[in-house]
Amino acid sequence: MRDKVLIVDDVDINRELLAEILQNEYEIRMAENGLQALEILERLHEEIAVILLDLVMPEMDGFEVLEELNKKPWSKQIAIMIISGDNTIQTEARCFELGVSDFVHRPFDNRLVRKRVRNVVSLYQYQAELEQKVEKQTEVLRKQFKLLQQQADQLRQSKENVIDILGTVVEYRNLESGEHIQRVKGYTRILAERLMKDYPEYELTQNQIEIIVAASALHDVGKIAIPDSILLKPGKLTQEEFEYMKSHTTKGCEILNSIENAWDEEYGRVSYEICRYHHERYNGKGYPDGLQGDEIPISAQIVSIADVYDALVNERVYKSAFSKEKAFQMIVTGECGIFSPKLLDCFWNTRKEFEQLAGTVENEVEPGM
Amino acid sequence: MKLEQFYKNLGGSYQEIKDRLQSDDLIQRFTLKFLNDKSYETLCKAVEEENYDEAFRAAHTLKGVCQNLSFGNLSKSSSELTELLRNRATEPVDMDKCKELLSIVSVDYRAVTVAIESLQA
Repeated sequence: MRDKVLIVDDVDINRELLAEILQNEYEIRMAENGLQALEILERLHEEIAVILLDLVMPEMDGFEVLEELNKKPWSKQIAIMIISGDNTIQTEARCFELGVSDFVHRPFDNRLVRKRVRNVVSLYQYQAELEQKVEKQTEVLRKQFKLLQQQADQLRQSKENVIDILGTVVEYRNLESGEHIQRVKGYTRILAERLMKDYPEYELTQNQIEIIVAASALHDVGKIAIPDSILLKPGKLTQEEFEYMKSHTTKGCEILNSIENAWDEEYGRVSYEICRYHHERYNGKGYPDGLQGDEIPISAQIVSIADVYDALVNERVYKSAFSKEKAFQMIVTGECGIFSPKLLDCFWNTRKEFEQLAGTVENEVEPGM
Repeated sequence: MKLEQFYKNLGGSYQEIKDRLQSDDLIQRFTLKFLNDKSYETLCKAVEEENYDEAFRAAHTLKGVCQNLSFGNLSKSSSELTELLRNRATEPVDMDKCKELLSIVSVDYRAVTVAIESLQA
């Protein structure tokens, strides 16, 4: 509570006269010179509402006091009133430049001094209240912002959950690929992060990578709509069966379109890209649309390498597993279709990480899953 | 009545100080306190020792107190001395002028003290 007035004057009679005027309304503290005043302020600055300051004093004069006060962070909260017989305009101007609130000339009128002190005190009080209010509101806003952030996080989480749920459905349907989806996500992350680092022209961000990785779980969602007789057929498919199998890309898109309101646009768009285009090839020889080069969205290009690699190093109903070395060669030499040279460069440079992931996940797969 | 005459003798105005300080009691009390103020002695000693910084401060203080108490004559003479000493840092102080002004201050000061003592009686 600021209820004290500090009177700084070297002359007894001056201090007492001011005290006389103000003691009914405020608690009075007095200092005989600048040094004493600063000493008192160091202790009581939170309780003092206004300083009545004389200018001509021994030890440390009023100007020096003002300069010292300007270095103190707390001085902004205390009103300063000069009481002086030095009535030149230069002196007064200099005081206001140094931050005083008011300048009272000697000889002063008791009523006016009392009123002017009241004025600055209430002005400073009002200002302090405003500052407090702003501070409180800032605090409230900060809390609300935090809450919003948490909600946004939850929302993002639940969107990812939608993807995971769909992915799990695919896993259950497609018996051969127990951990396939988890591994494809892993390979996708490895490639995408390398691509972001080495090829800034794709302008990938960490956030986009997270979306691509999450959405990669859905690359085969369309397989839900493929009958077991084709999906689980051991050995080679007939031409007709193969054409039907290829439709898992477009059927996946139909499924995604039907749930488009359940998640955010960006997730939906990237999932769609991956679903539809993860069998496209860089030279236009892929399916379903025969896109070429970077017409194929980068998300789908990344996932297609991840998908092919995982299919090669694991057993499928239609094939046995290739060694990691063989799989690496097959992709690099274009045996599994042509990929973007930039992506192949990233693949080349992350071979170790790919093989590490292929190894660990292999070990984690429980028999019979 | 008494105060009115008192101020008239000292070149001030009772009406003026009554307006500012608002109460006879206060006027009386602070007038008496003036006798405790040491700035006049300090001023004389400082001029004697040619310590003009100290002399300026003392004259300035004396002026301020006299203005507050409406001691018109003393406030005028101490004010003139204050102004003579104000620029002591940049211009040499005219010692003769200083002593002359101090003697006027002394005359006015004595008049004040005598008047206050008679007020007390």
